[in-house]
Amino acid sequence: MARFTEDKIKQFLKEDGFPVNDFYVAKSINQVKEYVNNLDFPIVLKALVPLGKKGKAGGVLFANNLKEAIKNAENLFTMDIRNYPVKKILMEKKVDISKELYLSFTYDRIREAPILMVSSKGGINIEEIGDIYEYPIDTILGLNPFECRTAWIKTGVTGKLLTTLGELTSKFYDFFVKYDAYLLEINPLAITTDNELKIIGTLMGVDDAASFRQKKILNMDQIGTERYWKPLTERERKAIEVNEADPYRGTARYTEMPSGDIGFMCGGGGASLLLFDELLAAGGKPANYSEFGGNPTAEKVYGLCKVILSKPGVKGLFVAQNITNNTQVDLVAEGVVRAIEELGINPDNFPIIVREAGVNEERAKIIFDKYNIEYYSDEITLTEAAEKMVEKMKRFYKYGNTTE
Amino acid sequence: MAILLNKDTKIVIQGITGREASMVTRHTLCYGTPILAGVTPGKGGELVEGVLVYDSLQCALNDNPSINTSAIYVPPAFVYDAVLEAIYNKIKLIFIATENVPQKDAIKFLILARKNSVKIVGPNSVGIISPKYKMKIGAIGGDKVERCFVKGPVGVISRSGGMTAEISFMVKKAGFGISTAVSIGGDPFIGLKPLDLLKLFEEDIETKAVVMFSEPGTNFEEEVAQFLYEKKFTKPLICFIAGKFTENLPEDTVFGHAGAMISKGIGKPSSKINILRESGAEVANKFDDIIIILKRLLGN
Repeated sequence: MARFTEDKIKQFLKEDGFPVNDFYVAKSINQVKEYVNNLDFPIVLKALVPLGKKGKAGGVLFANNLKEAIKNAENLFTMDIRNYPVKKILMEKKVDISKELYLSFTYDRIREAPILMVSSKGGINIEEIGDIYEYPIDTILGLNPFECRTAWIKTGVTGKLLTTLGELTSKFYDFFVKYDAYLLEINPLAITTDNELKIIGTLMGVDDAASFRQKKILNMDQIGTERYWKPLTERERKAIEVNEADPYRGTARYTEMPSGDIGFMCGGGGASLLLFDELLAAGGKPANYSEFGGNPTAEKVYGLCKVILSKPGVKGLFVAQNITNNTQVDLVAEGVVRAIEELGINPDNFPIIVREAGVNEERAKIIFDKYNIEYYSDEITLTEAAEKMVEKMKRFYKYGNTTE
Repeated sequence: MAILLNKDTKIVIQGITGREASMVTRHTLCYGTPILAGVTPGKGGELVEGVLVYDSLQCALNDNPSINTSAIYVPPAFVYDAVLEAIYNKIKLIFIATENVPQKDAIKFLILARKNSVKIVGPNSVGIISPKYKMKIGAIGGDKVERCFVKGPVGVISRSGGMTAEISFMVKKAGFGISTAVSIGGDPFIGLKPLDLLKLFEEDIETKAVVMFSEPGTNFEEEVAQFLYEKKFTKPLICFIAGKFTENLPEDTVFGHAGAMISKGIGKPSSKINILRESGAEVANKFDDIIIILKRLLGN
């Protein structure tokens, strides 16, 4: 799931005629100085990270003159907001706000519908105030202006703006649908002192599954995704490359853990979760989470395995998955063995346990046996495989003999 | 009678000429499940493993009016259209194998299916199998179905396709077999959910117990627990919840299946375990414990 920074979202909104201020994106102090000339003070400087609650994290600053602008920009460029370093700053004219509204669309997994959420108490404290009205949308009929007006009335909005607000909200829903977003948040949606509506803060995430019809936006440099909670590490980027090199032949995913010593090379969306739990329960420390499946090519398996083994501190390898329905485990064997060979790993002094059963396992066994890798089919369960891995790590590295 | 698939099931495959669908067709026929027809627009008249391909579902139904179940194997961009084609043609059970269906499309066709009393399994499901009737739909079991799936009294519900096989293997290891095993699909929005299946298993006289495999995210287990709490499910339910480690990592991160995400505190494995235990379900701590629990509950 791709998450975008605010400049991208505002650009899309602008293209569709929504009320957005002109803005500039500065990547350096020199650019800040340059763009200041195009704006009237006071201005806003916003850290561009693909997250909400930027204001609260200190990522939104104001400036009344050039000196302040430079000082605040310098400040922002040294900041990390929830693991994301600030590399770009959005600059725009500060809006004179008389009231801040909140508006968002998400898909609710429990109600199985898109949900409109509105509040007349928008701004950075919306989460704490919580005074939000929720309205489930009928996806077949869409969201009509009268429904939007009704929702806003529930939050206490009255007066002349109600009509414009209803229409704008309905258009926001069309925008949300058009871009296959799973999240669109406008906070605040400002009522200016001139009694106009203006989009101030935005957040949007787009459904990766819709990439076939959202090429325009998904090809832009996306920074955040739902599969990672921090900016990608070098190895995570490499793993994505490996996966996307051949997008239609199986999947290979990799998420790094902060520590750990067992290279975790496990298959199956469910089995990989289970195996990670079982390793922890047995006292093991996985260095990463991974998941491969859907019958990947040997090339893809090799690429993933190499990424896993390249993380510093990895001192063993655990290759396991459920009995496969369609994944050819001989290709898994080929890929793993190629990575091990290429990295010059000797299974005699590097603990490896493999539990791979399913399609073409006879050939997988021959490949693993040839390289003297400890291999099991379904004669052991997934739990037993995890326990064997941890025992082997203990034997090789003498855990448990806590003399330190 | 098993659930969903039984002797009255008559299958058509939409998108039968694709690579995976042809392989699945071969394995399914080998297992003994008849496939009456296939559909791929523009390829009418071709044969896939001896199964005749039609240009539309309506053409297939004209020649085979008994068809009541469809397996969808079309690419993500065409799933919405294929599901609607099936609903319009009054198919009553639709199985969707395709992974990565856009959420927007899934929500829409799930609502339309519900309005028309059509059951959907999936998207992103590996299949359904009722061994006693030699009926399977989807890749489930691959080319060696009986390695994991033998007939017996245990129903299986799994969020994970791969684990549908592994659990059924554990059931076999414990000395029992399967009435029906259902891979419900790993996507955020799916058709039949564990609660819907438990209702069917409750009615099924051939099912004596159910094993359920769960992952983080969703409120499926909370719904199931409520059902148990109200004493509406009277058979033993054995649960295993994977992904306990994800609770110690930041929320809104996906692990494994697209649907496996804890958000706003909803979907935590620990709370699922607690609520299921409180409602009377057996929850296995280790995956291996499933064998011990099954033996204890069903006897030898």
